[in-house]
Amino acid sequence: MKTAWIGAGVAAVIGIVAVAALSGIEPQEARVYGEISTENGSPILGDPDAPVTIIEFGDYQCHGCHNWFLNTKPLITRDYIETGKANLIFVDLAILGQDSWTAAQASHCAGEQDMFWEYHDAVYNNHEDTIDGGWASKENLVRFAGEIGLDTDAFKWCLDSNKYADRVRANTNEGKSNGISATPGFFIVGKDGQSDLITGAQPYITFKHFLDEMS
Amino acid sequence: MNAARIVFSDARYVILSFAIFAPMLAGLLLLGEYVFVEPYFVSHLPPGSELGLVLIVALCALSALVIPMNVYRIVALKSSRQRMGGGVLGSVVGAAAGACGCGPVGFAVISTFGAAGATATAFLTNYELPIRLAAIAVLAVSYVATARSLRTECRIGQR
Repeated sequence: MKTAWIGAGVAAVIGIVAVAALSGIEPQEARVYGEISTENGSPILGDPDAPVTIIEFGDYQCHGCHNWFLNTKPLITRDYIETGKANLIFVDLAILGQDSWTAAQASHCAGEQDMFWEYHDAVYNNHEDTIDGGWASKENLVRFAGEIGLDTDAFKWCLDSNKYADRVRANTNEGKSNGISATPGFFIVGKDGQSDLITGAQPYITFKHFLDEMS
Repeated sequence: MNAARIVFSDARYVILSFAIFAPMLAGLLLLGEYVFVEPYFVSHLPPGSELGLVLIVALCALSALVIPMNVYRIVALKSSRQRMGGGVLGSVVGAAAGACGCGPVGFAVISTFGAAGATATAFLTNYELPIRLAAIAVLAVSYVATARSLRTECRIGQR
C-alpha cells in the first residue's frame, strides 16, 4: 500500500512538470522591480544581484531600439553589466507589426535552448529599417537561429506552435500599463525599488547619469 | 529684383519665416530622436542618421522660405490662394514622414487606430526618406513657381 502511494506521488510530480513544459510556462520566480513585473521577460543579462536593474521595453522592428542596441548598449554592457554594477532585462513591447510579434516569440523559443541573448543580438544584427518588410519573416527568424547554432527543428516547432503568444501579449500589456509611450523605453530601478523612466534611444551619457547615481 | 529679397525686406515676413523654421525644426529633431529634453536636454547623432538630419534641415528651411512668400502673394498682392497648396502640402507631408515609427506619435497612432494606424505608420516609416525627398522636391518646385509669380506680379504692380 505504501509503495502504491509513493508511485502515485512520483506520477503526479512528473505530470505537473510535463504540463508546465508543454504549456511553455517556465517556472520562473516572480521578478518584480518597483512596480514592474519582468517574470515574462528575458533572462537577466549580468549579475542578478547587481544594485541596479535596467528594464528595456522594445520591439525588434523598431529603428530606435536598433540604434540603442548598436550605439548605447555596448557601452553600458562594458561599463556596468560586465562589472556587476547593473543588469539588464529585455521585455517585449511588440506593437509595430506582425513580424514584431513573431520575432518576440522567436526570442523566447531561443530562450528554451538557453540562447535568448545570443538570438536577441542576432535579430538586431540582421535588422533592416522596414516594418513587416520581410527581414523578420518566419523563414528568416529560423535562419538566424541556425546561424547561431540553435536546434532549428526544435526552434521551428516552437515558433509554429505560438506557445509564447500569451507571454508576448503579457509583456506588451506590462509596458503599456507602466506608461511606456514609445520604444525603446527604459526603467532604471535601484535596490530600494525607486525607478526612473527614460524614453527613446537616448545616448550613453543619459544612462550613465542615472546608473552612477543609483549604483 | 530677387523675389525672396522683395518679401523678406519686410520684417514681418522674416519673423513669420523664423516662426515656421524654429518650431518645425525643434519638433522634427525631437520626433527624429536627434534631441531629447527628458530627463534632461541632450543631442545625439547616431552613425547612419546624418542624411535624415540633412533632409530635416532642408525641409524646414524650404518651408520657412516658401510659405512666407506665398503669404506675401496673398496678403500684399491680393493674389489667389491656389498656389499656397504646394508649400503647405510639402511641409506637412515631409514632416509626417518622420513623425511616426516607434516614437510617441507612432505609438499613439497605433494605439488609437489599431491595424489601420499600424499600416499607416509602417508606410511612413518604410518610405521615410523617399517621402522626405518628394516633399523637398514639391517645396522646391513651389519656390520656383512662387518666385516667378512674384516677379511678374510685382512688375505689373510697379507699372
